[in-house]
Amino acid sequence: MALADFLVSLLTVVSVYTLFGLGLNIKYGFTGLVDFGHVLYFLTGAYVTVVVTLPAAATGYEGIGGFALPQLFAGVPLGGLFAWLAAIAVAMVAAAVLSLLVGVPTLRLREDYLAITALGVATILHTVVNDERWLFNGPFGVRDVHQPLTGAFPVSLGSFLVNLAVFGLISVVVLAYVGYRVGGYVYGVDVRAAALATAAAALVVAGLGVATLGGTLVLAGVVVAAVGVALLARSIRRADGYGQPVALFTALVFAAWYFGTPLVTTGPSGTLASAVWLFDPTAGSSGGITYGRFVLLVSAAFVGVAYWWCERTVNSPYGRVLRSIREDEDVPEALGKETFRYKVQSMMFGSALAAAAGGLWATHIAFIDPSQFTANITFFAFTAVIIGGAANNKGVVVGTFVFWTLHTGTRFLNDFFPTEYATQLAALRVMLIGVLLMVILYYRSEGLLGEQHYDTGVAADGGEASE
Amino acid sequence: MSDPLLEVEGLEKFFGGITALDGATFDVDPGITGLIGPNGAGKSTAFDCITGFLDPDGGSVRFRGEDITGNRPSAIANEGVVRTFQIPHELPEMTVRENLALAPREQSGEALVASWTRSDDYYADERRAQERAVEAAERFEIDHVLDTPAGELSGGQRKLLELARALLTEPDLVLLDEPLAGVNPTLEEKILDHIQALAAEGYSFLFIEHDIDVIMEHCQEVIVMHQGSVLTRGDPEAVRTDDRVVEAYLGGEAE
Repeated sequence: MALADFLVSLLTVVSVYTLFGLGLNIKYGFTGLVDFGHVLYFLTGAYVTVVVTLPAAATGYEGIGGFALPQLFAGVPLGGLFAWLAAIAVAMVAAAVLSLLVGVPTLRLREDYLAITALGVATILHTVVNDERWLFNGPFGVRDVHQPLTGAFPVSLGSFLVNLAVFGLISVVVLAYVGYRVGGYVYGVDVRAAALATAAAALVVAGLGVATLGGTLVLAGVVVAAVGVALLARSIRRADGYGQPVALFTALVFAAWYFGTPLVTTGPSGTLASAVWLFDPTAGSSGGITYGRFVLLVSAAFVGVAYWWCERTVNSPYGRVLRSIREDEDVPEALGKETFRYKVQSMMFGSALAAAAGGLWATHIAFIDPSQFTANITFFAFTAVIIGGAANNKGVVVGTFVFWTLHTGTRFLNDFFPTEYATQLAALRVMLIGVLLMVILYYRSEGLLGEQHYDTGVAADGGEASE
Repeated sequence: MSDPLLEVEGLEKFFGGITALDGATFDVDPGITGLIGPNGAGKSTAFDCITGFLDPDGGSVRFRGEDITGNRPSAIANEGVVRTFQIPHELPEMTVRENLALAPREQSGEALVASWTRSDDYYADERRAQERAVEAAERFEIDHVLDTPAGELSGGQRKLLELARALLTEPDLVLLDEPLAGVNPTLEEKILDHIQALAAEGYSFLFIEHDIDVIMEHCQEVIVMHQGSVLTRGDPEAVRTDDRVVEAYLGGEAE
């Protein structure tokens, strides 16, 4: 179980920091604003989300707030969830306003001066939050973090097989969809077709699995399986070159694995299978989607929306002005674009995304204190963005995944060494990331993916249709 | 002569103890005006002060009778005064197409919320911007490099891109800072032809140039600057025969 829970936790952290990194990418990657104080808006988002939803008389909390938003929504169905979403929205607005206040004086500075000033402002405000107990309870942090719908979990559909079929299918389809959206051609192989074929194979086996349950489910299962077969055929047809065998191979491997893993879930290899499923198939009828997995899904949904939002923003004339500011601020200014306004907007937008990430972080971790929001969080995000490729939204996803997998995944190294080496190992893991960053900067300075391509939604020259 | 487009009066600019502009006063009429003067005469500083990239320490700049002294560069550009830079400021990581499509003014898709909502105006304006980018590239013969990152262009192509981009803002007056510096003779001829053709279409130019022959041949008016102020102003023939100009040049060009 440990492995599955670890994976869920890792992917949640990756989602939260992807959201955080998307915000940084708007500022740094696309606009060229080196905001070394980006974590300030993460902190703002976390604290505002928590304080707005905090019960009025939270024990041990002496800060401002306790606005008890969920209690206002008490009678509404899913009220806790809506209250939480409203709190995130408030947090995003608060961070945008704060970044406006920070940005108006600092954005007149260029590059390194902006970086230093932003770092200074963020550090000062962090110290204030840490030292002033009347504000947000100082170093004691905030407990009683509102976790929406926490009572409704774990959700189970009643039987092991149905859980397996339905939740497994959902997670695979989601992953395949992400693969489809994020993937392109990698070394001439169409990743999208492979992802589509895999999802189709999941549909087929899940449909057949459901059909074996008998009763009214037979028809539903067969329909699902038929849709899967049609999709599989289509996805393989649309692949070209090596894409066809690759797509077919992934689909077959997937199908074998899908059938095979439930058979070993009861043995010692059960942990592997449960990692695969991202839910707990060994827990029998009570196993289903746990709360942690729900938070993961919500975080992933946030990332999906933010990704779409960022793509829409940068693939537009607006994004073109942002990039021209990054390249040479004098040019857009000489052409009549008021660059200062664009820089402020870029700061506000990026900070609002960081605040949403902060709200998710608080919900995931269930307890916040100032030590979670130190400057190194900003530099982790910079590292992730640079690894993946600055000015590339896909690169943020890839870079954040690589970074946190390395950072957190290497924790297992501890198991192979005596416990007295734990501190050194922790330092070594950070060094590993540093080495990776240097290798990437040396051999591939544009990052793993490099700068993305842009399309404002209008065919560029009439002949060449845009995507 | 019609009313002057640009009226510069008593422009002053100091950098520490150095006086870059010492009460420069001149008018720019429609047509092609040359701005000459030895190195350090304050020509580029005057450009920076006129276009808002530097705040003048004294004096005023009026365009079409309206005071634009000390305004933001973007505000001045939107009044119709657009400049180019002595060293071409191409946007290196962006394609030539993007460099050009950036230029047209008042694109509705340049607002943040409009880039999300994408009304019909968004698409209409962007299609127009893309068409104009291609037209400009064709006119200045850089259409074969439309999808090349501007950082990979040759020096001459950068000069052409700079000029094309400035013109896409539909300015009334273009300030060209040494558009011919470091350009081979063939291209120099081409750029001058473009400027002449554009002037015939109603654009006005004020341009800094060192080559007296070019100025004599192409300008209706010449302004001569020396040590931060205007030495003389007049038609090319009068300026050429002015003793003070000859002296300033002979004195100033001993580098």
